[in-house]
Amino acid sequence: MHPAFSVIFFTVSSGAGFGLFALLYLADLLKLGGGLPVEQKLIAGLLALVLVGAGLTSSMFHLANPKNAWRAFSRYRTSWLSREGVFAMVFFPFALIYLALTWLQLPAFEWLRLVTGGLGALLAWITIFSTGMIYGCLKTIRQWNSPLVPANYLALGHFTGALILLAIASQGGVALGGYIALVLALLVAAAALKAIYYFWIANPGTGSTIQTATGFTRGKVRLLDTGHTHGTFLTQEFGFQIARKYALALKLFVFLIGFLVPALLLTTGQDTGFGIYAAVITALLGMVAERWLFFAEARHVVNLYHGTQRC
Amino acid sequence: MNAIVKIENHDKQEIKFTTCYMCACRCGIKVTLEEDKVRFIQGNRNHPTNQGVLCAKGSAGIMKQYSAAKLRKPLLRKPGSERGDGEFVEIEWDEALDMLTERLGNIRATDPSKLAFFTGRDQMQALTGLWAQQFGTPNWAAHGGFCSVNMAAAGLYSIGFSFWEFGAPDWDYAKYFIMWGVAEDHSSNPIKIGLEKLKRHGGKFVSVNPVRTGYSAIADEWIPIKPGMDGLLALSVVHVLLSRELFDWDFLIRYTNSAWLVVDTPGKPGNGLFLRDEAGNPLVWDIEKEAFVNGLGKDIAPALFGDFVAPDGRPVRTVMSLTAERYLDERYAPENVAEECGVPAETIERMALEMAHVAFKETVELDIEWTDSWGRKHDKVIGRPVAMYAMRGIAAHSNGFHACRAVHLIQMLLGALDGPGNFRARAPYPKPVPPHQLPENNQDVINAPNTPLSRTPLGFPMRPEDLVIDSDGNPLRIDKAYSWEIPIASHGLMHMVITNATNHDPYAIDTLMLFMANMAWNSTMNTKNVQAMLREKDPEEPGQHKIPFLVVVDAFHSEMVNFADLVLPDTTYLERYDTISLLDRPISEPDAAADAIRHPLVKLDRDVRPWQEVLVEMASRLKFPAFTQADGTRKFKGYQDFIVNYERSPGVGFLAGWRGKNGEKSLKGEPNPKQWEKYIENESFFAHHWPDNQKYNRYANKDYLDVAAEVGFVGKSEPIIMQIYSEPLQKFRLAGQGLYDGPQPNNPADRERLTTYFDPLPLWYKPLEQSRVDENEYPFFALTQRPMLMYHSWDSQNVWLRQILAQNYMYMNRAQAGRLGLADFDWIWVESHNGKIRCQLRTMEGTQENTIWTWNAIGKQGGAWGLKPEASEAKKGFLLNHLISELLPAKQGERRITNSDPVTGQAAWFDLRVKVYKAAPGETGSWPEFAAIKPLPGDTGERPDVLRYSARSDDKK
Amino acid sequence: MRLGLVIDLDVCVGCHACAIACKEWNASGATAPLTDYQPYGAEPSGVWFNRIRSYEVGDYPNNKTINFPMSCMHCEDADCVTVCPTGASYKRAEDGIVLVDQTKCMGCNYCSWACPYGARELDRESGTMKKCTLCVDRIYDQKIPMEERQPACVLTCPAHARMFGDIDDPDSAVSRVVRERGGYQLMPELGYNPTNHYLPVRKATPISTENMGKAGFKDRLKNIANRIVKR
Repeated sequence: MHPAFSVIFFTVSSGAGFGLFALLYLADLLKLGGGLPVEQKLIAGLLALVLVGAGLTSSMFHLANPKNAWRAFSRYRTSWLSREGVFAMVFFPFALIYLALTWLQLPAFEWLRLVTGGLGALLAWITIFSTGMIYGCLKTIRQWNSPLVPANYLALGHFTGALILLAIASQGGVALGGYIALVLALLVAAAALKAIYYFWIANPGTGSTIQTATGFTRGKVRLLDTGHTHGTFLTQEFGFQIARKYALALKLFVFLIGFLVPALLLTTGQDTGFGIYAAVITALLGMVAERWLFFAEARHVVNLYHGTQRC
Repeated sequence: MNAIVKIENHDKQEIKFTTCYMCACRCGIKVTLEEDKVRFIQGNRNHPTNQGVLCAKGSAGIMKQYSAAKLRKPLLRKPGSERGDGEFVEIEWDEALDMLTERLGNIRATDPSKLAFFTGRDQMQALTGLWAQQFGTPNWAAHGGFCSVNMAAAGLYSIGFSFWEFGAPDWDYAKYFIMWGVAEDHSSNPIKIGLEKLKRHGGKFVSVNPVRTGYSAIADEWIPIKPGMDGLLALSVVHVLLSRELFDWDFLIRYTNSAWLVVDTPGKPGNGLFLRDEAGNPLVWDIEKEAFVNGLGKDIAPALFGDFVAPDGRPVRTVMSLTAERYLDERYAPENVAEECGVPAETIERMALEMAHVAFKETVELDIEWTDSWGRKHDKVIGRPVAMYAMRGIAAHSNGFHACRAVHLIQMLLGALDGPGNFRARAPYPKPVPPHQLPENNQDVINAPNTPLSRTPLGFPMRPEDLVIDSDGNPLRIDKAYSWEIPIASHGLMHMVITNATNHDPYAIDTLMLFMANMAWNSTMNTKNVQAMLREKDPEEPGQHKIPFLVVVDAFHSEMVNFADLVLPDTTYLERYDTISLLDRPISEPDAAADAIRHPLVKLDRDVRPWQEVLVEMASRLKFPAFTQADGTRKFKGYQDFIVNYERSPGVGFLAGWRGKNGEKSLKGEPNPKQWEKYIENESFFAHHWPDNQKYNRYANKDYLDVAAEVGFVGKSEPIIMQIYSEPLQKFRLAGQGLYDGPQPNNPADRERLTTYFDPLPLWYKPLEQSRVDENEYPFFALTQRPMLMYHSWDSQNVWLRQILAQNYMYMNRAQAGRLGLADFDWIWVESHNGKIRCQLRTMEGTQENTIWTWNAIGKQGGAWGLKPEASEAKKGFLLNHLISELLPAKQGERRITNSDPVTGQAAWFDLRVKVYKAAPGETGSWPEFAAIKPLPGDTGERPDVLRYSARSDDKK
Repeated sequence: MRLGLVIDLDVCVGCHACAIACKEWNASGATAPLTDYQPYGAEPSGVWFNRIRSYEVGDYPNNKTINFPMSCMHCEDADCVTVCPTGASYKRAEDGIVLVDQTKCMGCNYCSWACPYGARELDRESGTMKKCTLCVDRIYDQKIPMEERQPACVLTCPAHARMFGDIDDPDSAVSRVVRERGGYQLMPELGYNPTNHYLPVRKATPISTENMGKAGFKDRLKNIANRIVKR
């Protein structure tokens, strides 16, 4: 699949935003590290909204006809893409009420603050899950058509969200141990899930082949002619292929920069401001690489008609 | 109906019927127009040719009509600019026609042969031929010489009709169909319709072709033969059939010359000619009467085999005895040809036996009463349902004439011609073998100023006396057709015109007029050098080119236009009146004689004129007798008037339908002033459906031949006897051997060629180029074919078609490429004795291992055809043509000889041998490279990056 | 009713007639125009509803070339419709034709991701997804002669390799030919249940070569007795 920058930014940014919000809420609820100061909560909350908003805005650049984008909320009954949009939109009022009440600190409405925050967190989880399911539900792409995909999206969103929350918490004079533990736990979970995912997609399985695509079973099937000399929408959208060695190098990059370096920074006494920010930046870089690879390694079955032997 | 889907508004639409122009099929089309814009082009369901279907080219007619390459106004080469630089000034039609009238008038008044008029893929040779004849120049022909003249000639000298457009397989009844080397470019829609029919009925389709694409893709059996070996394969099939006595005695005796007696006196004059009586009738041995009798007579019982002694003491043998003796020779045994053909012996034997099985054990019998030419009534028509078709794969070789004769020999042995399930004739064929039409060869007539030729420039020589040569034996035609070098050049040699005219060999001409022939690019051999020839100046006439004046007539900005001194812009096929005449290349089907017209559907939006109209205008200005009244005024107002009123013989004109004063007569009748209207009313075509009793065996079908004679298809109603043994060829051979009682060639090369290649029975010889180059140095055969979606389509690089194919590759067998260390998309050099090209490689399974091939005419010169100079056709596409020489590799002590079939002059494109090697790293893009052609006056060369064509007037926003 | 196409791979010669007829009809059709990019330039391309690919099966010399036209399969379980967030993609209840409402499409490409058959192409100029309409604007047009109310590709196919009809009706010509010839669906494992079916290559009946003639004619020829054939 063609790795479009708008979609990569959208999923990484909104995933981190939703993760951040959900974890902020949990940290708030559980008073992690003694409880974040209001200021920190507000910064974290607003940053989450900015990340989500920027992601959603970016996704608009992916549309060829954005003037109809408003219609995307209409088919939530069947479309994960529509659901994602709807849940993201529904998320905002809850998140805003939660943040407003956090700011106003009205004891009478503390119950409402916690309820709206909880619902916001729930919607954040559902939205990330929906984002994952946009890809996970596609039978046409073996590398995506798995529960591992929404699981990965959830884990990675929370991992990056947790890192950002840590960075914000580090300015709030709270005990960071819990936050670091949270990051590390999520890091391990995300890395493990990602590793499982990579092993899983490496196994070709029993999916579609050029034989099932064409129905020709009597011998080796080779493409002779595509019927067009230059690219088409199909080759531009689905024709992207990454060489195995680059994919491997990128996977190393994901694990090294995305997981290992942040883990080292956080576990080797670098849990100071600079170390944490460096961890955020490398993790996000790693996530961009991960997301790019997520698209680049996905092989749509239409490629079988262009000569690919199996997808 | 869902409200979202809007059915279009037809209020502003009009539907008109006309005829497609994209190729030689000439299908009927139904065109929907909306406010003078073409909305939809579809096949006409009632048309006999395409029966409602239409190919890619036909449907892409919309983009042809709106091509960016359309010429807009007459052009004159800019004074002071060099020919080929493509700098022009626009001029008015009056100026252009005055200039041409003056020039041609001078030529006609002095030496008419100094005009050479050659036409490419036109569909109006009856008119252009008449025009040339009236002008008085012998130098006229169309593109048949590089298309398939040996195929046409082989048929017309053997069976009275031929592959190409003079016959078609009977798809309704055929059970076994062999396609010999037809690229997927020929007879586009009828073959596709037919193949489906054949397969649906359970018939077997065998394709003999080095490449498996297109039609061959759906063959039940693919025989990947080595190029140029078809004749040998066919003769091996003949061997198998003969060795098992699998031939149709009745057919051979009744309808062929197999029982005629041949004089067997080697080394003596008259050897190899038929034994004839005093009236000239061929004699046969009657086994009942035990006497020599007239072989054309009735109630005879000829001996098929046997050696006899003629009353004058000369030994004679039947044609069939000679045939059996020749082909029963072990030389033709499958095991002895397998290696050369690249076809296993078992396959050859099985092919022959399968054919015989279908012919003799799966006979078709139709309850149709018919009468043969001798008056005998038959209550059934018997069909031996083996059909064949052949085209370029056989035609484009220098041994193609004989290869095609060999295929016809199989058909004759099986008795599988013009019967149910056979290859059948299309009216006006069959004709006598060969047709009774001789090329003009009277030198006095040819040289006479202001005098038409007494007959057309092209025809079918029967003997050396019919050659078009002067008293010293030198060619009288610029292309040397009908000279000792090329005696049976029935379609001329268009591919030699520029070379010969540049070399002033046999003489210099003044004006070369080309219509719709891209002789500066894909329609010539040796393209790069031909472009140089067009530019060549005459050192003896300062400031003058070797070809002094070049007139190019075309509708589009082709590479040829770029070299013109004068460009006369033509219309598109949707903008003019046109006839597709029975006097020309017919569109008849076996069951119906047919012709058609075109009429303008779209208004002209630029200053161009139909070439037909211009020809009639020029003929009137130059006062050609057929176009001029006794008082010197013009006879015809214009093209339409000419078509209605011109009669070739009383009652026979260009159009066969709705003749007679009130349009009540078919095929023959006095002119009908409302003829055009009648055609337009009747969907622009006319079909005369043959009644059942006139549909089959028309070479000897009395009822059919009576009609054919009446309407002028044949001279008189008499049987057309097929010629297994060709006496005309033997006469030329005798001339070569110095044994002919008449003209004989002086040049040893000519004598040798006549002796070797003018065999009265089919033979196979190694293609000529192959026998002159080192086969180890040039190990590959190299071929081209046209893709179905572009075949014959003038301006095929249109916006839609070019998306499908904008770059050609060189295809090679995958395993073979692996052995050479070559892979897909490698840039490679391909080199022949004539030059080299660089192109990109693709591998495939379906290519014979010793063969490489590519799509022809995809490569374009930058800037031509309305494309941007960076178009991939120009940067990555290529022509194989650069590798193919129009001349054979030189041989010491011999003048340069054309690289053509020595019998017919058919350009031997497919004889090419090449070597292939990988290009050095960094060597990419096609080579040779050409400078981009400049835009024409009024064209900025700018082209839009996005095209959103829609004909819907309600879509305009 | 479930309208769709049946493609006969045994007779398709790969001539692209259907693709061009489709292009010309739909260039001015219900979702007109179909944009072409770089029409005269280096790398021409454009929006098409029907593309023909060619494959080779098996190794030389036992290889077979198969031409393979593909357009929208009008699937019974069309994921392209279920994934569409705007409701632009829909499947008509009355005849099963899958269409894109050009007024609703936001050009997100998601439907094309869900389509295994490459049936959908984005028109970058209109910003909307376009696809085969089964010539819905022909087949229901009462002003077109009855026998021509067929998709343009079917109407034009010179090898009659394309058939159009109701696959739900067991007695329709398309259903019958699918039964008789073993018509199949592409990538059945994905479960889209495409309406379009493909007819496999036929196996030719072998022709007997037993007892054909008598070998040794060369020897018999020396003493041949001519047959009496009168003319």
